[in-house]
Amino acid sequence: MTDRVPGIDPKLMEILVCPVSRGPLRFDPDRQELISEKAGLAYPIRDGIPIMLPDEARPLEPDNTRP
Amino acid sequence: MILFDREVLRKRRDRAAAGFSEYDFLVREAADRLTERLDDMARHFPMALDLGCHTGQVAEIIGGRGGIETLVQSDLSPAMAGLAARTGRAALAADEEWLPFAPASFDLVLSCLSLHWVNDLPGTLIQIRRMLKPDGLFLAVMPGLGTLAELRRALAEADGEAGEAAMRVSPFVDIRDLAGLLQRAGFVQPVVDGDRMVIRYAEPMRLFADLRGMGETNLTMARRRAPTRRGILFDGLARYRRDHADADGRLPATIELLTMTAWAG
Repeated sequence: MTDRVPGIDPKLMEILVCPVSRGPLRFDPDRQELISEKAGLAYPIRDGIPIMLPDEARPLEPDNTRP
Repeated sequence: MILFDREVLRKRRDRAAAGFSEYDFLVREAADRLTERLDDMARHFPMALDLGCHTGQVAEIIGGRGGIETLVQSDLSPAMAGLAARTGRAALAADEEWLPFAPASFDLVLSCLSLHWVNDLPGTLIQIRRMLKPDGLFLAVMPGLGTLAELRRALAEADGEAGEAAMRVSPFVDIRDLAGLLQRAGFVQPVVDGDRMVIRYAEPMRLFADLRGMGETNLTMARRRAPTRRGILFDGLARYRRDHADADGRLPATIELLTMTAWAG
């Protein structure tokens, strides 16, 4: 498969959710992170391994459209 | 109630990861039991999860048995998950207490000696049931109450003698409670059976070395409040020898393996 998204197995991407919010995840290929908007957390992907541990996640910068 | 320190567990598994293949005999033994069960099933399970995959033993032993097409491997330890990925099957790091899988994702959830350090076992079982598709199968091996019973008793007696009370060996689950727990988590037709294996040690310190190599040393929060003093340890080992040594002077360590099957109704 040549169009495979680098960094994460597509079958895995289909079933992964945020462990904290149970909400959906968005893959950020540049930062190699899985973003949970709902929980405000970014889970790192290291050497192709998604690290879905809440205390390893990076808190997202506060969204400036909100007060 | 927080009984087990998951942070410490992750670090121990991370540390044990690189050398784990030298200490994986129990996981392999348990994985054989899972494989036998799977072979007995008339069904196929295309999408499967190995929950608490260590460094990929289940992926290696089960392979494509049971009609498994995709096997996702997950472990609390990123280092173990990283090594498991070398089997060529997808891997990720996830905490059994905070599972990151969408509802109805899997036909089969396997777990091989990785659920005994979960603080809220009923909660984790409920999460597992939700991750299964309707009619999906949960197939797992867990150490039962009889595990390390000799060591537990010897250390408890040594503690008693010294006027201390501590939990030096993990409180494993009682086989009589497990089917009920599965039922309460919403599983149907839970079946649990247990069998015992005995490992014989010529040198008791070798048992501790094995436990360390597996990343399985005591994790109870209480261990910090009451670290095992040398005197208690030596007294405990003397009692272990006195009460349990066989004719050759070797010390038996019993492992009770509970194998469970349960269906997501």
